[in-house]
Formats: sequence, structure tokens, C-alpha cells
Amino acid sequence: MDALAIVILVVVLGLVFDFTNGFHDTANAMATSVATGALRPRVAVLISAVLNLVGAFLSTEVASTVSSGIVKEGSGGIEITPVMIFAGLVGAIMWNLATWYLGLPSSSTHALFGGLIGAAIIGSGWNAVDWFNVLSKIALPALFAPVVAGVVAMVATYAAYMITKRATSRGAERGFRYGQTVSASLVSLAHGTNDAQKTMGVITLTFVAAGYQRSGTGPQFWVILACALAIAAGTYSGGWRIMRTVGKRITEVTPPQGFAAETSSAATILVSSHLGFPLSTTQVTTGAIVGSGLGKRLASVRWGTFGRMALAWLVTVPAAALVAALATLIVKTGAVGTVIVVVAAVAGMVAFWMLSRRHPVSHETVNVDEDVLASRRPEPVRAGESK
Amino acid sequence: MIAWSALGIEFIVSLVAAAGVVAVFALGLRLLAVGAPVEARAATDGGEQVAEGELSLSHSRPAWASLAAYLCFAVAVAAVLYGIYLIIPQFH
Repeated sequence: MDALAIVILVVVLGLVFDFTNGFHDTANAMATSVATGALRPRVAVLISAVLNLVGAFLSTEVASTVSSGIVKEGSGGIEITPVMIFAGLVGAIMWNLATWYLGLPSSSTHALFGGLIGAAIIGSGWNAVDWFNVLSKIALPALFAPVVAGVVAMVATYAAYMITKRATSRGAERGFRYGQTVSASLVSLAHGTNDAQKTMGVITLTFVAAGYQRSGTGPQFWVILACALAIAAGTYSGGWRIMRTVGKRITEVTPPQGFAAETSSAATILVSSHLGFPLSTTQVTTGAIVGSGLGKRLASVRWGTFGRMALAWLVTVPAAALVAALATLIVKTGAVGTVIVVVAAVAGMVAFWMLSRRHPVSHETVNVDEDVLASRRPEPVRAGESK
Repeated sequence: MIAWSALGIEFIVSLVAAAGVVAVFALGLRLLAVGAPVEARAATDGGEQVAEGELSLSHSRPAWASLAAYLCFAVAVAAVLYGIYLIIPQFH
């Protein structure tokens, strides 16, 4: 298969990945605002989409490496070829769709890294991956992010409740809803400046690798535009399955908790990117919501839900790597192999979409959850449950 | 080499910033409620409903409380603006 075809495939898959990145991460910023009723679902995703769009245009400084040092690129290392990027994107997209179907928030960045790792291992062997960087840039931050954000949100929630006498002072609930909307908007804007840029980088570096663009030049305007629109469209489409999990299934989020959690997320994300200690937005916001549950006395955190998420975070890199590795193996067989991978990828996307239609979650049902309804039932009813 | 000191700073700065903003904002809300009748609290707790008009008639907030509340909100707004400044790369 000639180079141009692969480059076109990378552009298309890059935009698809950007779209999945958008709807995967809407929940990070907006799940708590939707859960507390601070914003109506459609309004929440609209605000988030616009801020992601704006953010994408604000930050177009293209990355100099595709994998941020996870794969040994450049001199002394290996060359990341368009074929590897193609396979990596397939792995990342499949993992994003699988976790979306299950309603689990997971880091799109880690999925992309995982895909590249898988493709690099098949392409050039185990030595192509900088395992130390895998540990220090993926594994340890994944461990720290929820803990740091969780403790911060716990303290903030406790303070909010103490100061407003458990939010019973007049107008407190409404005030917290306003505050929460603002904090959530900050998270959305930060997300736009961070995440759309990753896809721009992937596409631009593919052009460079294929010889269509000079090394060191910034992304083409149409690439910036397409990436910004793709992430905004993805964000607007909602990712309601994940939003329901984050907003309703970790803990019953109240306005003071939502405000404390979102503010903690915004602070943690801003501080971490400022200090060059990048933490996953997904893991930060999820940790903050758990912390807000702990900060409210007697509030119940559903550890089962959190456990499933943590497991998904653990599996993200290997799972995306496995799919990408498989894709690389098949592509290596030639043009027919590439066609097979493309067909399989499209079939996979359609399959996840069809599966999701069996139990659809929409902007109308995002706050309705059988589990939540069941747990709200008064005690005697639950005790005498006999179906 | 894991940047333990960066992690420590990350944690402390995030904690101070987030808890600080949340506390100041909450304090502002609390100050706005100064002078509100106690019944209002009972009402939001799910107690006996008090007519809305009756409440606002008897609600008289002292000037110092209003002033302090607005000061709190101003601090919160400043924090948000600083956040936007940090997010937008063109500013630095």
C-alpha cells in the first residue's frame, strides 16, 4: 500500500480518535454539573463543546514527538512510521469505544500511548519502548492523580460543608451551582488546549514522516480546524454513558460537592500542567468526585464502581497495545492486510454502536439510573425485597 | 528518577488553591445568608415550609456582611481569571 493511502488513513483515524476523545471526556468537566442540575444536559455539552473548540485554537503548539518519549524516537531510537501511527490509532479508538460502551471513564492519552507501544513492539521489538518513561509518565501518574485530586477535593468539600453549615444557609445550594458551572468551564477549556493538540501533533508528524511537510513546521490550518471541530463535535455528542457513571454511580453528587470537586480538578490540572508533571484529566476528575464523596460526612462512595474504573485504567495501555500490535502484524502482510485492518476497525466501531443501542443512554436519561433508584428506596422496602 | 518534589509541590499548591477558593466562595455564600431567619434553614432541611414572601420581608442583611460577601466573590473571580491566564498560552 503506498504512502499516500496510509497518510490519508491516519488523518481520518486521527479525526475519529479526536472525536472519541471528545465524547469520552465530556464527563470530566460536565458530569457533576449535569448530576446536580446546575446545567441542563444539552446546555452542559454545548458549553463544553464551545470551550473545547476555543481551546483547540488557542493552543496549537505542536508536539515534537508523537509519544512524548514513551517510544524511543529519533537518533539512536526507532523511526515512528505512518503505519505504526495508523495501527496505534486503531488500538486507541477501539479501547475508547469499548470503555465508552461500558460507561467507564479512561484516559484517551494513555490509550494512544498504549496503541503506539503495541505498534512499536511489533515493528521494532521490546527495546523500542522506553519502559522507564512508561513507568514515570503513565503508571505512576495514574496512581497519583486520583489520590492527589481525591484528597484535595475531600478537604475542599469538608470546608464547603463546614462553612455553609452543611449547605443549609440561605441561597447556598444555588450559589454552589453557579460556582460549579464556572469551575467546570475552566476544566473544559483546559481540556481543549491539551487534547485537540495531541491529534494535531499526530497528523502533522505523520506528514513530516511521509515527507509532505518540513520537520519543525507547525500544523496546517485545515488540520487545526478539523481537529478542533472533531473534538468539539465529539464533546457535543455527549458520551452520556460515561457521564452517568461519573455523575451518578460514584456518589450522589450535591451542589457543594460538585463545586468542590470541579474546583479541585481545575486546580490540580492547572498546577500539574504548569509544573510539567502531567496528570490525566480523567483520573483527576474521577478522583476528585470520590474525594467529594468522602468529604461529605456519611456520604457513600460506591467503591465497586471506582474499582472497575481503576481496573480499566490499569488495562488501558496493555489493551490498546494488544489491538495495535495485532493491527501491525496484519498490516505487515501488505495491501490486503491494510484493507483487512480498516474493514475490521470500521466493523468494530459499528459493532460497539449497535451494542450501545441495546441499552441507550441519552441526554434525557443521563440522570436516571436503576441502581441509584434502587439505593434510594427506603430501608424497609429494601429489606423485604423479594422480587 | 521520579520527581517526588514536583509531586509534593503539586499536591500542596493544588490543595491550598482549591481548598482556598472553595472556602472563600463558601464563606461568601454564608455571609449572604447573615440575617436570614432561622426558619429558612429549617425549610431547606425539609422542615415546615415557610412562605417565600414572609422570608424575604424579614431578611435584613447588615452592610458589613454584604461587603465581606462581595469581597469573597471578588477573590473567587480573581482566581478564575488567573486560571484562564494559566490556561491560555498566548498570555505567557
